[in-house]
Amino acid sequence: MRRRRFLALSAATLATPTFLRRAWAQAPIKIGMPAALSGGYAQYGIQAKRAADLFAKDIKAKGILGRPVEFIFEDTAGDPATAVRKAQKLVEKDGVKFLTGVALSSEALAVSAKCPEWKVIFMSTINGAGTLTTKSFHRYFFRVNTSGPMGARAVSLYLAESPMKRFFALGADYAWGRDSVASFTSQITAAKKDIVGTDFPPVGTKDFASYIAKIRQSRADGVFLVLPGQDATIYMKQAHQFGLNREVKPIMEILELENMKAVGDAMVGAIGSSRYPFTVDTPKNREFVKRFHELHGVYPDMFDGETYEGLEWLAQVITKAGTDDVEKVIDAWEDSTYEGLEGPFLMRKCDHQAVQPGFAVECVKDPKYPHPIPKILATYPGDKVTPKCRTEEFS
Amino acid sequence: MTRPRLLALAALVALAIVPWVLARHQLSLLTDLLIAGLFAMSLDLILGYTGMVSFGHAAYFGLGAYASALVLLHFTQPIPVALLAGAVLAGAVAVPVGWFSTRATGIYFAMLTLAFAQFLYTVAYKWRDLTGGSDGIAGVPKTQLFWGGPSLASPSAFYFLVAVCVVGSLALCRAVVRSPFGRALQAIRENERRFTSLGRDPRPFKLVVFVIAAVFAGLAGALFAPFRGFASPEVMFWVFSGQGLMMVVMGGIGTLVGPILGAMVFILIQELLSSYTEHWMIFTGLVFILIVIFLPGGLVGTARRLGARG
Amino acid sequence: MANAVEQLLNALALAGLLFLVSAGLSLVFGILRVVNFAHGVFYMLGAYLGFTTVALTGWFWPALVVVPPAVGVLGAVLESSTLRFIYRRPPIYQLLLTFGLALILEESIRVLYGPTAKGVEPPPLLQGAINLGGLLYPRYRLFLVVLGCAVGVAVLLFLRLTRAGLVIRAVAQNHEMADCLGADVARVRTLVFGAACALAGLGGVAAAPMTTAYLGMGIGVIVDAFVVVVVGGLGSIGGSMAGSLIVGAAQTWGAFYLPETAMVIMYAVMGVILVFRPWGLLGEEE
Repeated sequence: MRRRRFLALSAATLATPTFLRRAWAQAPIKIGMPAALSGGYAQYGIQAKRAADLFAKDIKAKGILGRPVEFIFEDTAGDPATAVRKAQKLVEKDGVKFLTGVALSSEALAVSAKCPEWKVIFMSTINGAGTLTTKSFHRYFFRVNTSGPMGARAVSLYLAESPMKRFFALGADYAWGRDSVASFTSQITAAKKDIVGTDFPPVGTKDFASYIAKIRQSRADGVFLVLPGQDATIYMKQAHQFGLNREVKPIMEILELENMKAVGDAMVGAIGSSRYPFTVDTPKNREFVKRFHELHGVYPDMFDGETYEGLEWLAQVITKAGTDDVEKVIDAWEDSTYEGLEGPFLMRKCDHQAVQPGFAVECVKDPKYPHPIPKILATYPGDKVTPKCRTEEFS
Repeated sequence: MTRPRLLALAALVALAIVPWVLARHQLSLLTDLLIAGLFAMSLDLILGYTGMVSFGHAAYFGLGAYASALVLLHFTQPIPVALLAGAVLAGAVAVPVGWFSTRATGIYFAMLTLAFAQFLYTVAYKWRDLTGGSDGIAGVPKTQLFWGGPSLASPSAFYFLVAVCVVGSLALCRAVVRSPFGRALQAIRENERRFTSLGRDPRPFKLVVFVIAAVFAGLAGALFAPFRGFASPEVMFWVFSGQGLMMVVMGGIGTLVGPILGAMVFILIQELLSSYTEHWMIFTGLVFILIVIFLPGGLVGTARRLGARG
Repeated sequence: MANAVEQLLNALALAGLLFLVSAGLSLVFGILRVVNFAHGVFYMLGAYLGFTTVALTGWFWPALVVVPPAVGVLGAVLESSTLRFIYRRPPIYQLLLTFGLALILEESIRVLYGPTAKGVEPPPLLQGAINLGGLLYPRYRLFLVVLGCAVGVAVLLFLRLTRAGLVIRAVAQNHEMADCLGADVARVRTLVFGAACALAGLGGVAAAPMTTAYLGMGIGVIVDAFVVVVVGGLGSIGGSMAGSLIVGAAQTWGAFYLPETAMVIMYAVMGVILVFRPWGLLGEEE
């Protein structure tokens, strides 16, 4: 496999007449993507890469500010130490000014902490950890994606209206699991509903039988699940085998296509939040899904969509700033708006979190698709799902 | 001058002039390689010289990293204080762990080190208030050399700190293995039963070298935290210990300087391969298997054998 | 009451799975004196090949029959082309060689199958739940209990009653003497390694309907297998059975009452046994 430099320049150069080529011979705009392309979390890094591949194809003709765009990928294998090493190489050797596509929150925290020193922009399109825009916030960090607390908020808003009253919370025993369950607990009790039990299985649990027994015993109406991809897949399969899903509704903080493909029909009926459901019914999104499917042969999952939106917005902001100088791009990005695939986005100046719509979705079967898909149950406007600046509270 | 001395002098000179020769990111990479080299060399003390296979060595690297991170982030002390904290914490934990582990030998010892290391990993992963849990501790600063001293924030300054630590540690370890204590270790490695039958108890020796190795691993971890700016549980995971063993074997078991080179080669191969293909693990595994089968002495061991012949 | 029965069955099902995974590891250690770090990857390979077999034939039962020998043959080939040359070396070399094999195999599986987990449906006979006096229990888990017992008994009988089993036990006790007495030690080693991989592969096929086939399932299971083998005794099949029951019970009840400390307790148990009785419950003192 060739080295991962995706030079939009070459194909475009061959296509343009000579007198225009001189204008192209400018320094490319470089975007570095230290993504988890191997190892247990590869499916997330691969989504970032797929989005970048499509975006590179889309802007090949125009470039940004008339300059070609160069994506440089590096494999972090999902390890924070490797992520920082690769990011440092991208910044110091390849001279990138923008880092994105980082898959894990632990990697993001480590890499982002170095960005003020390197003076490069870190654009999160995947990382949900609340602390990235609260305690660990700095000027060079921008989050385009829906955060974990925002996802939990969308779910809570939906459940506040539903007849379900009793909930069990099952979160994996690490940062995301703990924080999300805490956020959900406070919001659902504020909605005058009950948490009848919580449990924190270790990451990598293979057998959820005991937890399933506890959930059944608790007589909950629904179980709020915050489990990493593979654990969620295993839980759904086993809960289905125990017949639990009929009695206790699975509610997932993120409802991903990856899970739906792996679990299959057993997941039908699960509800939850999606950071980007590809079934959003706007002309722009339908067209994006079509182009994505043509290029990659699969339908876009959450991080495919969010990364594409991030890249498109970044391109617009660089154009607005008139330069890829990092400080000017930051200024141009703050308080700017963007019409994304999911709806309208606003980049808040106070914490660089993109305010965007939140979605409550349900996993349904649709004969047009080879696997179950997310059907949108409710859409919430950005200001209802985004927490107040630098806090974990909602208005 | 004998050839080894000439080589050593050449290496020292090379290390000294490197900041003016290498590009910035190459210098960063070299610093990274040296830290890994120190970790591997510390493992050689117990693997190469005493014949003890430890699957838990990464835990001491991790302990050093966390101690250093906390001292630098919360108390902003000069770096040597953080280094001392890391080395001391690693050594302190190694005492009880080593005391229990050395009650077993061979494969049982290896399993026991694995159990202890996984236990420590789980503690680091779950004790969120202290260690940041699965997110780790980010934003660790590089501070000064001593109170009121020069800052170590620049890449060359930090590189010199690491180079001095590694060269110094190598010198110390060489002194240890050449001493009567070191010779006793090698006797234990060769034939532990005979050692016992001569009326000597191997356990205190094993415990002491276990702690010394942990101290140097902790030093490596304490350098890692300000260099990379964070500490996280992954550096304590048993897979990292396994990679350490691979580095030692690649470089040359029982040569001290070999593992340093082995670590550098191991990481460089991965760096180069991962830029060309996302399936770099297959090639790394192949290279490694070939070395294990055909070059059991590792790079340095084989070089010495060839040098002795020629 | 129904709850206690359910927990017991859960523990037995998990024990059945753990036994299938760890029996091979125990054999390889007892007879070849090698710690096989690639063992988890053979388990994972079994799961993925099981998925492929089901996808090709539409049936689950053929996977149980076809996949273990295939994985076993692969293991035997790898052993005779790599491990065979380094038996005389210190154990660290063999250990690290299996580590290298694990890296290669794991990444190869990823190349072939991609990163998405592969779901496997249990056969119609084993789908759904069975009504046990008011308790609805998944049939597939009951099958795991039965399978674990059957395989355990089969392996024990093979080792105790057949001539091949006798030769294997002789090699385990004293390979030089066995060699003098005419046993083809190299061939025995290859066969045992292959058989151990086949057992791991069987474990993988059996696990797939319960956990799906996914990357990282090898690393995830290897530490569990080590704990089982240490507790039961390296080299003892009976020990693996006992160890699986203990670990299965500890994990099941631990998850129910103390999920957050369950892991820590496991390591503590492993540590205590290694310090005070390293040869495990049913192993042989060296």
